[in-house]
Amino acid sequence: MSLLIVDEITKEYDGVRALDRISLEVEKGTIKGLMGPNGAGKSTLFHLISGMEKPDSGKIYFKGKEITSLEPNEISALGVGRTFQTVQTLGNMTVVENIMTGMHLRLKGGLISSGLWLPWIERMEKEALKEAKEILDRLGLLGRWKSPASQLPLGKQKLLEIGRAFAMKPELILLDEPASGLTPTEVEQLSERICQLKKDGITLVVVEHHMGMVMEIADEVVVLDHGKLIAEGPPDVVRGDSKVVEAYMKGSPR
Amino acid sequence: MPKNLPACTKPFGEGRFSGQVSEGGQTEDFMNLWTYLPQLLSSGITIGAIYALVALGFVTIARASQIINFAQGEFVMLGGVITFFLLKGLNLPYFLAALIAIMVVIMIGFLLQVSVVYPLRKASVLILIMATLGASIFLSSTSALVFGTLPKALPPFSGEQPLQIGGLTVVPQSVWVLGATFLLLIVLYLLSHRTLLGKAMEATSTDPLGADLLGISRNLMVFLAFGVSAGIGAFAGILITPIFFTSYNSGTLLGLKGFIAAVLGGWGKNSGAILGGFVLGIVESLSVAFIPSGYKDGVAFAILLLILYFRPKGILGSPFIDSRRW
Amino acid sequence: MQTKKEFRKRDFFYLLPLWLLSLIVPDADDLYSYRSKEFKRRELYYLGAVLLLPLIWSDPHFHHLMVLAGIYAILALGLSLFLGYAGQISLGHAAFFGIGAYTTAILTTHYAFPTFLAFWASATTAATAAFLIGKPILKLKGYFLALATLGFAEIFLVIVRETQTLTGGVIGIFGIPWFSIAGFSFDTYLKQYYLTWGVLLGLFLFSKNLVRSKLGRASLAVAASEDAAKSVGIDVAQIKIKVFVMSAAFAGFAGSLFACIMSTANPEAFSLGFSTLIVMMVILGGMGNLYGPIFGSILLTYLMDILGRYQEWSLPIYGVILILLLIFFPDGIGTRVGIRLIYLIGYWAKKKKRDEGKL
Repeated sequence: MSLLIVDEITKEYDGVRALDRISLEVEKGTIKGLMGPNGAGKSTLFHLISGMEKPDSGKIYFKGKEITSLEPNEISALGVGRTFQTVQTLGNMTVVENIMTGMHLRLKGGLISSGLWLPWIERMEKEALKEAKEILDRLGLLGRWKSPASQLPLGKQKLLEIGRAFAMKPELILLDEPASGLTPTEVEQLSERICQLKKDGITLVVVEHHMGMVMEIADEVVVLDHGKLIAEGPPDVVRGDSKVVEAYMKGSPR
Repeated sequence: MPKNLPACTKPFGEGRFSGQVSEGGQTEDFMNLWTYLPQLLSSGITIGAIYALVALGFVTIARASQIINFAQGEFVMLGGVITFFLLKGLNLPYFLAALIAIMVVIMIGFLLQVSVVYPLRKASVLILIMATLGASIFLSSTSALVFGTLPKALPPFSGEQPLQIGGLTVVPQSVWVLGATFLLLIVLYLLSHRTLLGKAMEATSTDPLGADLLGISRNLMVFLAFGVSAGIGAFAGILITPIFFTSYNSGTLLGLKGFIAAVLGGWGKNSGAILGGFVLGIVESLSVAFIPSGYKDGVAFAILLLILYFRPKGILGSPFIDSRRW
Repeated sequence: MQTKKEFRKRDFFYLLPLWLLSLIVPDADDLYSYRSKEFKRRELYYLGAVLLLPLIWSDPHFHHLMVLAGIYAILALGLSLFLGYAGQISLGHAAFFGIGAYTTAILTTHYAFPTFLAFWASATTAATAAFLIGKPILKLKGYFLALATLGFAEIFLVIVRETQTLTGGVIGIFGIPWFSIAGFSFDTYLKQYYLTWGVLLGLFLFSKNLVRSKLGRASLAVAASEDAAKSVGIDVAQIKIKVFVMSAAFAGFAGSLFACIMSTANPEAFSLGFSTLIVMMVILGGMGNLYGPIFGSILLTYLMDILGRYQEWSLPIYGVILILLLIFFPDGIGTRVGIRLIYLIGYWAKKKKRDEGKL
């Protein structure tokens, strides 16, 4: 049974079809690459899946349940994490607190019990801190755990964001152009981390322009162009597809 | 706040005596008298014109700079107060006093932009709000310091005898208010669509980046916007002071109501500001027939909360509302 | 490169006072220590100062000012949770303060409630009002949120002025009894000082706990990026309301104490000007940590006192100072003055050395 099903999704902005009857399925435990020239609708699709926007028509299913009309935080609660194209680091907090924020749904505590810092809150927070530090360790960020998150270089901030999504212990993570702005070494480290996530049993959908990285990590690739799905299949097959080559050659319509 | 205000300084916000017109020496209370509907309407339209002008001032600055100038009401107050000073204190002819007052207030507007807004042009919304509030405090309290705290009344432009227009008793000043407002709006429209400078300001308001790329200096446009808004405000102040008293603290409430009017009509549009002003004036004026007059000032704020909750775009809709900044 | 050898005696004159200053002034960059259990030694100094100062310096005027500062600090502390930690705007907190004050005033004078109960009732009424008004208002952002909170505060004032029988209208309510617990009455400034600062201490610790809890992180996340917050499952609207209600409860507590100490409640005290003042306390004190609002309220209470001597010049000067402070210290005075000074002096000292080296 597919973890994520996108069924005939259409989204228009001021008469321009950003997405035109897009359908795709993501099997549990796989990595799906989502590619296409700029303006093809990839980020829009992510916004729709994560609930930030609503489609004009079509449905989205996660774990068999329809999530089309749910609020973003409700969708996250079901087990969907995401990162953003422009990295949304929580700059007013420290590195470790960014991770701990990711654990929000897994922690308990109301206003009064937190304010009074009841003993069980203390225990829970200690555990959370420990786990957060472990996550940072796996990402190679443990050394800076106390620093303000805004002080990290871009590559590390992107890793931090992935760590934050991971801290939710989600079943699906949507990565929106994780490699943009990274050096080749950083891209390699990133690819390694993403494969590690897959080993941990997390399903991933990755929007990415970096051909090399997608070839390495994706089990299957979907290519969009002008809101339409033009190719689907294993990476090496899709790469050679003439429609795909043409789409990238043409460039975006503007 | 320091509690050392001298006597006789209970806020004379505009509207305190509204509904009470001197007819041959007697005052009449319109409260709860439904038959005075046309009268209420006419006074509502009069004050509505003022709200429209104040709203226009807000929108002018906001469109050029994305800033809300909380000192806008003070421009209105200063218009009236300075004219009074020039007229009664220096015995200048009425017209000259008004003209000079408007120019002085425009200078103050320029000064405000240069000394407060420009240094903070990159600051957060919160800081900008606080800074213009600080300017508002400064202007109103300095006015009290320099011109005294007694409410000022200017003589009406053309006599005090109420006119009979189709069964309505109307103070001639109201006619002046409406007429002058109308004239000013026409002048502003012509200026913004026929002169190069006006078009440049419109360009900056509509598309800041595009205008910038065309070489239009954003800072200069903001500077001018402050001057224009100050001038409009002062103009409104001179028009309204003969009907309602103006004193050092009239500006705050008037400014807020003007802002509410701008939001009501459709934030970011000149037409919205004008429409909102008249609607607010009329609704506020009519409200005394239904609720105790003491609550009158609350009406504007109640309208504000209703609008923000049900239709933040305002009556005519707004180009700005969906964006993050607002 | 400056080596140890080159530190001349002169440098001590600049650096020693700065070092001393840095000992006492909170440092906003040290984020982690403000949200962990670790209490720095500096904080013990603060506590000691708070406890002992009024006993050492027994000028009643000083006590009076510090009582006011304490009340405003409670108010500012709550507001800073909303303003600084959740990143929102409110120009109407004077209304919650007023609701608190009037609740206590009415309950103690009309219904003979004990002040201790009225104290809690005040916070509850203020919190309830915030809950009711928060649900629709907090959907707004930026200027519109500011305007809506302002509107609410104005409506509150209008209602208070008009309902004569309950609130005494424009004149207000008189004869509010001293705050008392189990027979012990806080009737002198000194006693009131320990009352208010005791409440402040309790609420401060409560806030410190909140800030390093899940709720605190969620709140900061909402301020940093609402999208990111949603993506980890945070209900943004709910968090905003919770923090808003909490800040109103603090204001309610402060208002209740205010009523008992001033013995009167009237609408003039809760105007827009007062809301502005509290926001300034939060901004100037520094929004990065919980000491900011306390520092800011002490600073501004003293400023108000000094300005009060200038009669009608007080407000114009206040306006100018406000603007200047916003231009030069947008991050707050406490958090940056030490660092800025250090940079300035360091730069100047290095420049001197360079010039001397060249000669």
